[in-house]
Amino acid sequence: MSKSKEVTVGDSLAVKKTARLSPLGFFMALPPVLVILFFIGGPILLAFSFTLGFTTGPNEIVALIGQEIYTKTNWWGTLEAYKSVFSDSRFPGNLKATLEITFVATTLVIVLALGMAIYQRIIGGRLATILVALSLVPLFVPVVISAFAIRTFYDGTGFFKTIFYHFGLTFPTLTMTNNAVTIGVIWTSLPFAILMISSGLQSVPDALIETAQDAGAGFMRIIATVMIPLAFVPIVIATTFTAIGIMGSFTIPYFLGANQPTMLGVEISNFFGPYNRPQHSIVMAFVIFVAASGIGFFYIWANVRSAKQSGRI
Amino acid sequence: MSHSANKLNIQTNSWLVRIFLSAFIGFMGLFILGPLFWLAIRAFVTEWTFPNLLPDGLTMRWWRVIADDGSLLEAIKNSLIISPIVVLISAAICLPAAYAFSRYEFLGRKTFLIGIFAANAFPKIGLFASIATLFYTLNLMGTILGIIIIQVLGTVIFMTWIPAAAFSAVPRNLEDAARDAGASKLRVFWDITLRLAMPGILVALVMSFLAAFDEAQGTYLVGVPTIYTMPTKMYALVLNYPVQISAVFSLLLAIPSVILISLARKQIIGGQLAEGFQIK
Repeated sequence: MSKSKEVTVGDSLAVKKTARLSPLGFFMALPPVLVILFFIGGPILLAFSFTLGFTTGPNEIVALIGQEIYTKTNWWGTLEAYKSVFSDSRFPGNLKATLEITFVATTLVIVLALGMAIYQRIIGGRLATILVALSLVPLFVPVVISAFAIRTFYDGTGFFKTIFYHFGLTFPTLTMTNNAVTIGVIWTSLPFAILMISSGLQSVPDALIETAQDAGAGFMRIIATVMIPLAFVPIVIATTFTAIGIMGSFTIPYFLGANQPTMLGVEISNFFGPYNRPQHSIVMAFVIFVAASGIGFFYIWANVRSAKQSGRI
Repeated sequence: MSHSANKLNIQTNSWLVRIFLSAFIGFMGLFILGPLFWLAIRAFVTEWTFPNLLPDGLTMRWWRVIADDGSLLEAIKNSLIISPIVVLISAAICLPAAYAFSRYEFLGRKTFLIGIFAANAFPKIGLFASIATLFYTLNLMGTILGIIIIQVLGTVIFMTWIPAAAFSAVPRNLEDAARDAGASKLRVFWDITLRLAMPGILVALVMSFLAAFDEAQGTYLVGVPTIYTMPTKMYALVLNYPVQISAVFSLLLAIPSVILISLARKQIIGGQLAEGFQIK
C-alpha cells in the first residue's frame, strides 16, 4: 500500500518538475505565510529588540505600561534586562526545572510510544489495540481539564491517598510538586507521539521485516536495524514536537507545579501579567527559544530530509 | 491502512508476556482514565470526605449553579462564538494554500514550507508573550479580534498540512480521466479532487476547531481579564470555586472534543493527522 502511494507521488512530481512556475500557486500559498510573517516573525523580532532595550516605536506602549524597563545605552542596545533576569536567584532553579522536566518527560513519552507502537506493529492483537486506543484518550481532552483532573487525582485527598489510607499506608501528595508536572506533560503528550510513530512504523513494508526474519534476525535486531531506521523521520518529528511542546507549556505546570522552582512557562506568564515585568518575561521567552532552537533544528532537518528522500523538494 | 492485514507471524503466547502486558494495560488504564473518572464523579456529588471510599451523597445541584451564573454562561457563549469564526478564517486563509502546495510549483515554495514549519517550532508561551507585546501597540489586548488572531495562529499548521497531504493523495490519473471524458476543470475539482480530499479536510477542520476551542495559554495572556472563554474561565474556577463546579464545567468543556473526535476518529487514527505533520 505504501508502494502505490510512492508511485503517485513520483507521478505528480514528474508533472510538477516539467510544469512552469505558477504565479497562481504563489499567490494562493501567500496568505498563511503573510499571517505567520506578520504575527509570528514580526513580533519575535520586535520582542528581541525590546529585550535589548529598544523601547520606542512599536515597543513604546508596552515599555510605558511595564515596570523595571531597561532602555538601550549603546546603538545596539543594552544587556541590562538579561543581566537582571540571570542574576535573579530563582532563575537558575526555574531553568533547571524546565530542562529537567522536558528531558525526563520527553524520554519517557518516546520510550512508551515506541514500545506500544512496535508491539502493535509486530505482534498486534486485541491487547495491543486496547493499549493504543487507551493512550489516545488524552487527545479528546482539553488541556485545562487534563491539568485539573490530574491535580485532583494526585492531591492530598486524591485517589492513591484514599486507597493507601485504608491499608494504613501514606501515599505522597504529588500535586504542587514537579513530579506531578512530569506526570501531566507525559499524559498530554502521549497521543501525538503514538500517532506519529505508529504511522511511521505502519509504512515499513512487511516484506522487509519478513526477509530479516528469514535471515535469522531476532526480535530486537529487527527493531534496531529495520524498523527504527525506516521510521526514523517520524520518530524525530515526534521527539522534537514533544520536547518543544513541553518546554513551552503553561497550563500543566500552572495547575500542578510547585511555586518554586517552576517551569519557565509559568514565570513568563507571571512576569508578563501579574508582576508587570514584560521585558523580563520576554528575556525568559528568548532563553526558551534558544533552548528550543537546537531541538527545532532537528525537527526541520528531519522534515527536509524526508521531503528530499521522496523527491518532494 | 488496515491493521489486521499487517500482522506478521511472530507469536508470543507465552503467559509471562500476557501477564506483563495485562498488568501494563491496567497501569495505563489507571494512569490515563483514573484522573478523568476521579474528576467526572465530582460533578454529581454533594461532598466527598477524605478518606471515605464513597461520596457523601449524590446531587445535580452544581449543574444548576452553572446555569444560574452569568459569568460562566458568558464564557460558554464567547467560546461558542469565537471558535467557529476562527475555523472559518483559518480555512479561508489556509485551504487555497494547501491546494497550491500540493499542486503547483512556484517561487519560494520551499521557503514557504520551511517557514510554516519553523513557526511551529517556537515554544508556545514564549511566542504568545512576544505577540502580546505587539498587541499592546496595535490595541488588540483584551479584544475579541486579538483572541481570534492568537487562535488562528494555532490552527494554521493543521489547516495547511493535513489538507495538503489529502490533496496530494488524490490520484492525478483520476482527474485526467475525468478531463478526458469532457468534465470542466471546475467540475473535476468539485466532484473528484475535493470529494476525495474531504476526509483530510474534515480532520483539519475538527483539529482546528478543537485547537481554537481548547486554546487557553494565549487567550489567557491576551483576553483576561476582559474576555473569558471556557478554558480561561477554568483558571479562575479552579482557584476560586468548589471543585464540583469546576468538574461540571470540565464536562461541559469536554463535550465538543468528545463528539468531534469520535466522529473523525477513523481518519485521525488512520494517519491523516500524522501524514499532515511531514512536509509534502
